[in-house]
Amino acid sequence: MKLTPFAHATSGRSSWLRRFSEPHIFVWLILAAVVIVCAIASPLFLRPDNLGNVFLTQPVGLGLATLGQAFVMISGGIDLSVGSLISLLSSLAAGLYRSQPGLNPLVVALFLVALGSVAGAVNGLIVVQLRVTPFMATLATMSLFQGAVLFYASRTIGGIPDSYRFISDGQIVGVPFSIILFILVICGFSYLLRMNRLGKHIYAVGADPYVSQISGIPVRRVRFLSYLICGILVGIASAFMASRLGGGGPKVGVGYELDSITAAVIGGVSLAGGTGSLFGAFAGVLIIGVFYNIMNLLSVDAYLQIVLKGAVLIAAVSFYSKRRV
Amino acid sequence: MTGNEPVLKLEGITKTFPGVKALDDVSMDFKRGEVHGLVGENGAGKSTLMKILSGVYQPDAGQVFLNGARVSFSNPREAQLAGISIIFQEFSLIRGFDVADNVFLNREPTRGFGHMDRRKARERTRTLLAEIGIELDVTRKVEELSVVQQQVVEIVKALSFTASVLIMDEPSATLTDNELRRLYDIIRTLKSKGVTIIYISHMLDEIFEIADRVTVLKDGKVIGTRPVVELTRDDLVRMMVGRTIADYFPDLGKSRGPIAFEVRGLSKTEKLSNISFQLCAGEIVGIAGMEGSGQNFLVRCILGLEPYDKGEIIIRGAVRLCKNFHEAMEAGFGYITDDRKAMGILGRMTITENLTIASLRDYLAFGFLRRRRENADARRQVELLNIKSTGITQPVENLSGGNQQKVLISRWLLRNPEVLVISEPTRGIDVGAKAEIYRIMRELASSGKAILMISSELTEVIGMSDRIFVMRSGTIEGVIDQHEGKASEEQIMSLAVGHIWSFANGSSRS
Repeated sequence: MKLTPFAHATSGRSSWLRRFSEPHIFVWLILAAVVIVCAIASPLFLRPDNLGNVFLTQPVGLGLATLGQAFVMISGGIDLSVGSLISLLSSLAAGLYRSQPGLNPLVVALFLVALGSVAGAVNGLIVVQLRVTPFMATLATMSLFQGAVLFYASRTIGGIPDSYRFISDGQIVGVPFSIILFILVICGFSYLLRMNRLGKHIYAVGADPYVSQISGIPVRRVRFLSYLICGILVGIASAFMASRLGGGGPKVGVGYELDSITAAVIGGVSLAGGTGSLFGAFAGVLIIGVFYNIMNLLSVDAYLQIVLKGAVLIAAVSFYSKRRV
Repeated sequence: MTGNEPVLKLEGITKTFPGVKALDDVSMDFKRGEVHGLVGENGAGKSTLMKILSGVYQPDAGQVFLNGARVSFSNPREAQLAGISIIFQEFSLIRGFDVADNVFLNREPTRGFGHMDRRKARERTRTLLAEIGIELDVTRKVEELSVVQQQVVEIVKALSFTASVLIMDEPSATLTDNELRRLYDIIRTLKSKGVTIIYISHMLDEIFEIADRVTVLKDGKVIGTRPVVELTRDDLVRMMVGRTIADYFPDLGKSRGPIAFEVRGLSKTEKLSNISFQLCAGEIVGIAGMEGSGQNFLVRCILGLEPYDKGEIIIRGAVRLCKNFHEAMEAGFGYITDDRKAMGILGRMTITENLTIASLRDYLAFGFLRRRRENADARRQVELLNIKSTGITQPVENLSGGNQQKVLISRWLLRNPEVLVISEPTRGIDVGAKAEIYRIMRELASSGKAILMISSELTEVIGMSDRIFVMRSGTIEGVIDQHEGKASEEQIMSLAVGHIWSFANGSSRS
């Protein structure tokens, strides 16, 4: 016996249209629109050096941090400690070079990534084992990391050697190394999130912890791993920032926690968990970058920029929540 | 194994929750390839039994045998792997995932290092769908599917575990007639493949349509298991009810006053259709019906808590639209919900604070609370309703259920509403306190208040109501005036499940 297909099984919308209406794809269209508006608003915007700055140099640091933030947010959590962790790790890199100038850059970078993963594991354990809500847990570790960096070095420390600065300034056959690094990272972690079981479980846990649990998914382990992954990515971001600034200090990561959350939300990652993608979140990073850039080109007051950023965030969140209804 | 050997067998299953024996020595068996109906009143123990079978709960005593071997499950996944799957009313699907991802959630086919083989998952899902003869795009997200399609996904998920027993809890609750017929087709297909289906339903029509045998549960005990062909509907209804009405109810109201409020033609798509009634001062009207027949939705519409499509609510001769509960309060309504903890008491606050919260305006002087007056009134209420406590500063969460309920009633007494709506007035309250609550309600009515009561306990409805409205599928199926003769449980039940009872004593139907 063959039943006829359900009458309402096929809606009018084609699968193409459906995909484009998803926030993490739709956001690229928004980015394109924003770029067009900026090109009209300021003739300086389209100059090659400006474009290179906005799309290649600037977004790497925030981009890496936002990828980590996206992992945590998709699993249904939030990480307020990414900014102060970047400050702490970059300062440690500089401090390390002060005491031992001859260190191999790769060793230092791996050291930062390892420390980042430890910090992520600490966040994860506080959330999973001590059952502190993610907001409170990472608010506490934000204070903890920020206090630690101020205790360690109250002001900016330089002294990063040129060999290490290859990470941000070096090129491989004419292509900036940082871009290669970023592409490798975003592709690798995107694979993990979309094609690997762990990624599927991160989405599932964020979307519906109860259903995940009765399906036998180790919910707490998955949550822990998402914080661990976030720590690794923030570690990579710190390694990059130390190279780009040639040092570290308590102010290196200031604003990154809010900017990474803002970028992820603009890029279609829901604060409620379970939706979004890394490429979408990266589009959010570019939109924020373009936003800052055009503000500077138009000589908008720096403090006013922060006010406008808040307004953009409200607009983005209300836009997505309206579409969901 | 012989063909007569039951697939699933329960022996002496007992489960106790604090204060209630939800299941009491339940033994039953299920044959291969049968559709086994499970019926019973609200709270008869059906859901508890199913949760034990599917590993959500563990029994206190008793044994479960699957294919002759003793089994026990500590979580639903273990039950599924053993071949028992349950489809809850609330689907266990991740809405943002597509069909195939849901079917293989946490069993994703992989090719090493967790690399998912999504094509394999999709192919297997398509094969399973084909087996039950359904066409469905496996790449569609669940949130885009209709309810019956989501049900299909649940069924396919169960089949992917090679389910030998499939439990369906109220599968028809959200289906249209057309969709229900599709579901029957699927069930018959599954049956022909040897799958045993346990079909829980309030609707007797469905049992007679699809079930081979039916088991009746009541108060946690098995009343009996019969082949459906040997039963009439009357038999089944009689098995489901038949309790003696306890004698702790007060007398019915003596006189009916003027109309307190009136509802005309209240409708809401798929929830309520054309509800009209009047409620008089001095009477208690009980609304009965199986769970989810629209009782709570109706009162929430009246109280401005849910929007409705059309209809009028007339209070004191004037049409009054309450857009929110505050306006309903102003119009003279009081409301005690069925969820005391979440939507009633302010657990950590004191008795005094709980009592005056709905009428704080009366205790204000120049914007400041007059504590002394609050406390004086609280003391008076505590004495009046005999609220047992260590004092008016005791946090309400430390009181017993019955005393908490009295606090809620007092809260509204202080506000002096004309109509009091009470949902499940004695849920979770011990027998002694029940009688007290009943007495208080009757006194309230006698003092000229109108009381609208929703209750899933038939004894309570019959014992307390001057008039009984029986609801089914969003309509008032019948009105019974108890001053013309007491209603029987059978009479209410048959209205509630949609089966015309041959009344021995006269009844009024509107």
